Amino acid sequence: MAQASTALASAGRWSSAKREHARALFTELANLPANSPRHKVVRDELVEMHMPLVKHLARRYRERGESQEDLAQVGMLGLIKAVDRFEVARGLEFSTFATPTILGEIKRHFRDHAWAVHVPRRLQERNIAINHAIESLTRELSRPPTIAELAKGTKLSDAEVMEAMDAGRAYTAASIDAAAEANGDGDSPYDRIGGDDQELETLELRESFRPLLAALPERERRIVMLRFFKNQSQSQIAEQLGISQMHVSRLLATSLAQIRAGMSDY
Amino acid sequence: MRTENVHSHPQPSDVTLSFRAATANVALARTMAAAMAARTHLTIDQIEDVRLAIDEAVSQLINDCDEQTHVHCDFTETAGTLVIQTRATTRSGLPPATDTFSWLVLAALVDEVTAGADNGLVHLELRINRPASVTV
Repeated sequence: MAQASTALASAGRWSSAKREHARALFTELANLPANSPRHKVVRDELVEMHMPLVKHLARRYRERGESQEDLAQVGMLGLIKAVDRFEVARGLEFSTFATPTILGEIKRHFRDHAWAVHVPRRLQERNIAINHAIESLTRELSRPPTIAELAKGTKLSDAEVMEAMDAGRAYTAASIDAAAEANGDGDSPYDRIGGDDQELETLELRESFRPLLAALPERERRIVMLRFFKNQSQSQIAEQLGISQMHVSRLLATSLAQIRAGMSDY
Repeated sequence: MRTENVHSHPQPSDVTLSFRAATANVALARTMAAAMAARTHLTIDQIEDVRLAIDEAVSQLINDCDEQTHVHCDFTETAGTLVIQTRATTRSGLPPATDTFSWLVLAALVDEVTAGADNGLVHLELRINRPASVTV
């Protein structure tokens, strides 16, 4: 419990009025039909109110080599689940209730994304530094950096940057199954992107790759759609989904390989 | 997206890679393509796209090749453009169709993709331009 109250304290130092407001919203949510428009409004407000808690918990893992954005994103899944399951009548603080669920999602992310092969500590640390440099240089240059620019920004040689990025690829994307499990309950923020399936209808492609596309987990399917049917860059997709560009790249490679494997019509 | 016979390079390729048409060898082409993309000072987004594109191009050729055939990849950098030409003598001897998902993927990943066939020798050429804002 001490853990959770610390989290709340640094996540916001809420006024008693704000705490009351949250309790009132939870009470209202419990009495609303799940499919009513008001239910969605209240649920969204509660999720938004508690986002600082997710960011706070994600920061605990900042030395572990995953981007903070990726961690906050998986933590959000935990937050949404907690909002849906919280029973205000039980008298628990929401942060106390939600913390284990959010941490559970973050830990599962680490479990699913473990380094697939043994990668020396030195390379893992370089990978963290490079990920930070990618984020800041992309903002600064308004485009993704080159290897040479990354080398300059991290005081590493071109070869060292390439080596560390290769090692980063050993940091595997979640297994297709795990991703499906995480996204399959319809709670995922990715579900809200929606709307671009129409693009598919206008394309007259020879093969029936639609079933193969449909077989991908929700998030991977979105990424494939955005990259190849909306022509967005990997960086743009990364920003839109709140994950790192390297993560988008890994997911794209896995998805294309899966589609290719299922395609008989080459 | 043009489909025509690929013109010969105005200059010899910087690097040529040749390997037996086996899926296990695709990784070699991918690694070489990424290294050449870095050397051309492409952005990391483009480098990742080049990796995916050569995967797609080479896999497409290999699927239409007998195992003992060799796939050749020529890598050339000309004035900020990386040109990758892949070629192999395939069973069908036909250039890849352009109404496939695979072609759509290639077209989205690189600035220009062209394909052609000449006496059973099928070639696919990918061109990727360095952004003007990159100073070398």
